[in-house]
Amino acid sequence: MLPDGKLEVENAVRAVLRDVLGLSEARAAAFREGTPLFGALPELDSLAVAGVLTELEDRLGILIEDDEVDGEMLETFGALTEFAAAKALK
Amino acid sequence: MIDHYDWPGGREAMMRFGPAGGPVVVAALPLFEEANRTRAFMVTILRGLASRGIASALPDLPGQGESLLPTGAARLAAMRNAFAAVPGAYTIAIRSGALLDAGARKGRWHLAPQPGADLVRELERVRQAGEAEDFAGNIISPEFLVELVGAEPDPARVVRLESDARPADLTVPGAPQWRRAEPDNDLVLAALLADDIAAWIRACEG
Repeated sequence: MLPDGKLEVENAVRAVLRDVLGLSEARAAAFREGTPLFGALPELDSLAVAGVLTELEDRLGILIEDDEVDGEMLETFGALTEFAAAKALK
Repeated sequence: MIDHYDWPGGREAMMRFGPAGGPVVVAALPLFEEANRTRAFMVTILRGLASRGIASALPDLPGQGESLLPTGAARLAAMRNAFAAVPGAYTIAIRSGALLDAGARKGRWHLAPQPGADLVRELERVRQAGEAEDFAGNIISPEFLVELVGAEPDPARVVRLESDARPADLTVPGAPQWRRAEPDNDLVLAALLADDIAAWIRACEG
């Protein structure tokens, strides 16, 4: 089922980060809105970013254009969730 | 056991698992980076099939693994021809391995099959992320990419992860091994999938 609410999107983003980066359940569960991502998580290099974006597309049924990808949307867990929610819930 | 097979374009290596008699399952790994991420997982599934009395073969295709053909010279049509030359009544494939799954078979089984157009889109993203001409270290010819764009998997029993909303004959819990930045394994999921493959083959064999 595709997610239809903000919480579902947040959980999908959390699960994608956990699955792509190989994070423990506890580490992924500890992500809060202000948790820094790109530059703060050593696992999240540019190739891993490509995997995160593609898996988000698949799970949320969205398309992310390359010109929409910037440092800002990857800065924090909250920013990435906001970006994904804006796409998935419109 | 390491063995080899011949196809019209040459000879390649393959790994064999399981008993000498009975139906044989030929397995296809995904293309490129995802092959590295799923190899241990696939081998665990094939060992699981062996312990359930089912034999299998995991061939290197031309341009893949130990093949003498340079990766830049790999072509989808040649890989499909080689795969079709590996004897076996059944096939299983993960992700874009479904695009390699050719030949006359009694049945096909695909885990999260990926259409060629989706793969090419993903490769383009990976290439841009690497800021290089190669695709995360993989050299892929433009001809190969053109072949891939139009490639679609043949009809099969389709199994997907619960996180994947697309149509499936069976959905299973688990994380996508093919996405993992560092290769890992999932013994529980591999055993679950070996159970499903074994039951499916028993049903096909009647």
